[in-house]
Amino acid sequence: MVLASCLAPSGGNYRLAAEQVIRQALQEAALDLEDLDNTVATGFGAANLPFRSRQVTEISCQGKAINHLFPSARTVIDVGGQQTRVISLDGDGRAVGFAVSEKCAAGSGRFMQVIARVMQISLNEIGPLSVKSANPVSFSTGCAVFAESEVISRIAEGWSKEDILAGVHNAVAAKIYNLVLRVRLQPECAITGGGAKDVGLIKAVEEKTATSLLVPEAPQLTCAYGAALMAMELV
Amino acid sequence: MPLITNDGQRIAALRGDSMYFAGIDIGSATTKVVIMNGSTDGKILTSILGPTGPEHRRLVNRVMEEALGHVDLSLDDLTYIVATGYGRISVPFADKQITEISCHARGIVSLFPTAKTVIDIGGQDCKGIKIAGGRVQNFVMNDKCAAGTGRFLEVTAEALGLTVEQIGPISLRARSSVKISSVCTVFAEQEIVSRLAEGVPVEDILAGVHDSIAARVYGMIERIVVEKDVVLTGGGAKNVGLRRAIEDKLGYPLLIPPEPSLTGAIGAALLGAELARKAAERGQPVGGKSRHLAEATFFT
Repeated sequence: MVLASCLAPSGGNYRLAAEQVIRQALQEAALDLEDLDNTVATGFGAANLPFRSRQVTEISCQGKAINHLFPSARTVIDVGGQQTRVISLDGDGRAVGFAVSEKCAAGSGRFMQVIARVMQISLNEIGPLSVKSANPVSFSTGCAVFAESEVISRIAEGWSKEDILAGVHNAVAAKIYNLVLRVRLQPECAITGGGAKDVGLIKAVEEKTATSLLVPEAPQLTCAYGAALMAMELV
Repeated sequence: MPLITNDGQRIAALRGDSMYFAGIDIGSATTKVVIMNGSTDGKILTSILGPTGPEHRRLVNRVMEEALGHVDLSLDDLTYIVATGYGRISVPFADKQITEISCHARGIVSLFPTAKTVIDIGGQDCKGIKIAGGRVQNFVMNDKCAAGTGRFLEVTAEALGLTVEQIGPISLRARSSVKISSVCTVFAEQEIVSRLAEGVPVEDILAGVHDSIAARVYGMIERIVVEKDVVLTGGGAKNVGLRRAIEDKLGYPLLIPPEPSLTGAIGAALLGAELARKAAERGQPVGGKSRHLAEATFFT
């Protein structure tokens, strides 16, 4: 049972960010650091925990978490802030294959952030706005930098923000779809990570994959949840 | 000087000086027009460099009018017009459209007969061209990703509160080059901002950025096998920091055209001159359609 959770931006200093979230979560759970029997760290900054812990890959942690939440899931799309992963799972939640976006912002949350900033719309509005579109803009590029220019041109031409955003979501979904093809989609398919909070992205990926997606309640936390489940098994 | 016309078609005289040729290079970021006179490697009479923009592609006739105005010629005084570049289909008054690869190669060869490899860093793309016997032998291009293009330099300049013209010279002052580990422009921008926040000197960051572009570009052109002499052209060639970084990677100096942005348009004009000459030698009419300066209506 989850006693507490905490989410904060990593910022430039992973160690500091880790200390802050641990402190807050412990406070919420009314526990001290010494009360923890085991800790598993995952993610890009996993090596930065201020105390000893096991490190496990995000792919394993996501697999664990999604298997726990959705035992029928065999494919997981994890849309992170900088990277997107697609994971193939077996019945026990173990990763049997995966594909990761390369060193490119396309297909990750960063693409949405770049566009949201240039359109001056907050990240939690872009999804709801995009689903209202009847005529999405077609983007000729997959690159976030070039897409930013295309967005500016479309705004100047008078396209609605709903249509532009729908087009942006489709562009990101297309990149995600390329990753999905590399592991081959097996039903059921779940989507998680920060990107899974975006209803517009969920819709666009569902359309592209012709599948309906399982969505966890707290998609940004599933990786940490999986890490906690792993930690439980270490006892 | 009016052309000899016969039944509405232009027949080019074989005499050199009375002929004029134009090359128009519509790039994704900038549009270039060159008008030259008719000897084999003709003298450039005028040139224009302007931003392409979404409107400009439809209004390339205006750029042409301006160029013609500089030399007091009319459109029909031009023997042959070749359009090249990304937007070449939107030039209705062009006699021929030729790929920018061929045009850049021709332009470079006219300036540097010993050139074997061309690196073209454009506003939104970068290309490598291999030349043998004055002709294109091979080429490689990236136009999908902003890394290695002028756009990366623009994003960098903006992140540091500088202009694109400033970043090259400043980068040369670096004591040591900071490694930028991201290839992607978006992630590299983040690294730049972080390094700045950490107090790393701007010139060191800039040296790192230029090294990153050089590495990206070099990785691409290795596929066509780099051979001397290597020419750097396109808008990116105006950046002294980028020149330095690529020369460091190559281990020897680059040749730089005096007007790097214009090599495509120059090559286009020269190819037009060749086509006109060949047609004249065969007694064939040159071009053949009547021209007028008008907006392209089919371009979206």
